[in-house]
Amino acid sequence: MAMARSKKNQVIKTIGFYTGLIGLLTISLFPFFIMLMTSFKSTEEAVSTSPTFFPKEWTFKHFIDIFNPDIFPFLSYFKNSLVVAITAAGLAIFIGIFGAYALSRLKFMGRTTINASFYTVYMFSGILLVVPLFKIISGLGLYDTKTALIITMIVQTLPTAIFMLKSYFDTIPEDLEEAASIDGLNRIQIIFKIIIPLSLSGIISVFVYSFMVAWNDYLFASIFLSDSLNFTLPIGLNTLFSTPDYVWGRMMAASLITALPVVIMYSISDYFIKGGATEGGVKG
Amino acid sequence: MKTIKREKSDLKLAMVLLFPSIFLVLLLVAYPMISNIQISFFDQPINQRLSATFVGIENYISILSDGAFFQSLGITLLYMILAVLGSTTLGLGVAIFFNRPFKFRKLSRSLIILSYVTPSISLVFAWKYMFNNGYGVVNYLVVDVFNLADKAPLWFDNPVSSFILVVIFAIWRYFPYAFISFLAILQTIDTSTYEAAEIDGASAWEKFKIVTLPAIMPVLITVITLRSIWLFYMFTDVFLLTNKVDILGIYLYKTAFAFNDLGKAASISVILFIILSLVIIATRKRVKY
Repeated sequence: MAMARSKKNQVIKTIGFYTGLIGLLTISLFPFFIMLMTSFKSTEEAVSTSPTFFPKEWTFKHFIDIFNPDIFPFLSYFKNSLVVAITAAGLAIFIGIFGAYALSRLKFMGRTTINASFYTVYMFSGILLVVPLFKIISGLGLYDTKTALIITMIVQTLPTAIFMLKSYFDTIPEDLEEAASIDGLNRIQIIFKIIIPLSLSGIISVFVYSFMVAWNDYLFASIFLSDSLNFTLPIGLNTLFSTPDYVWGRMMAASLITALPVVIMYSISDYFIKGGATEGGVKG
Repeated sequence: MKTIKREKSDLKLAMVLLFPSIFLVLLLVAYPMISNIQISFFDQPINQRLSATFVGIENYISILSDGAFFQSLGITLLYMILAVLGSTTLGLGVAIFFNRPFKFRKLSRSLIILSYVTPSISLVFAWKYMFNNGYGVVNYLVVDVFNLADKAPLWFDNPVSSFILVVIFAIWRYFPYAFISFLAILQTIDTSTYEAAEIDGASAWEKFKIVTLPAIMPVLITVITLRSIWLFYMFTDVFLLTNKVDILGIYLYKTAFAFNDLGKAASISVILFIILSLVIIATRKRVKY
């Protein structure tokens, strides 16, 4: 009897749990669902006053349109975003690895202070610096160039990159380095031959983080760029939104494709971060 | 003797390795911050070729005697408090909900994080469309399907409904950040502690208070502090969603690039910088990265 009741309770609990889970996922994903469905709807259906959840007639027209440069400069925005985000993330990592290694392994005066200042910068950056950065960028003659945006994005992500990388490097046993230095490797060789390979999953997640920050940036793109040939996706799409002839289906298709690289990269990095990169490293 | 020598040689290498990072941060963070203070004392035209005029503390006086600034400060604080409270509570709740083995856990976790990783611009388009006054699905659901209201709120047309909208958006977008942080720490709590509390007859709330809360405290403080700071100078999400909610980030941006008053905008940055520094100094010792 008692067992039957507890089993029944268990079933009710399980049903309750999955109902809650579905409710939660519905709230989390509803805007994505609307985005996806609208991208397949005809222009008339998208602005119907009795909205539909699924398209009555599916159309792929919007996806074809956004890849047509005569209709929509989406591809050019996409390319600019890709150049800015990949360059910025790549350089942030390259610079960050050396800085993080110094902070993680080397003993020197001022280490704590440098550490603390990077941390403070991590909290601060952004809107507080737009006025002087605008002046500096114009002063350097970099106004309306992708370079301006790339440099800014490197600095926006560098302090975080250093912190994340440092915490990865801290988990690599120092014995490994000592063994390597006995084998005759110098510090720089140690970084390239031991530290980088062993913290690859960390490096990937830092890359994804920096890529995301640069890919998502609207603020700096909006103050540094003025020629639409240089526009990145956030500013390019927002400009189109403000024109009277925007088409919802097209904007939704563009929104989806804009989100895609970040989502894919995030999933990949999520897959890689299972820890344990250094497991077994000291053995043998 | 040996350690001193090592510190010396380490210092040299450390400086070489850290040079690019320090150089960039000094050039594009430290120098701008100082330059901000300088600009704030000038009437600075947006055209770089025109020279700036020294105006002393005039910019500060005009900001601090402007009702719009204090109104904006109030709106920002309210936005920050509501969004931090909402996203942290929801994130913690969902993390506790997830802190058990179940099928599709990893997949569900990834799906919940989507709203946090997706670019603002994509999300904002979807929200603007959903909350559209004429054909938006939200008003359709609220009024026509569930009859929760007689008349649809005109979300983007007045400050109050726009404010509610940006707060809901922030909670929806940022709760996954709290969720991942809490889930990670919850998984480190030994389940036997819960079992022990259960044997002592602790209720669910007592278990939360005695076991969970102390364990997650450092993460809780960090999540609240960092999220508060970031929401305090939020710009993009609100700027793209509506033009009816002038939080400080937008007030600053408009002063600089819509009214072309760089000097005044710089003095706003300095004031925000001071407020934020006080907050960081006050919380610094308790916040872990």
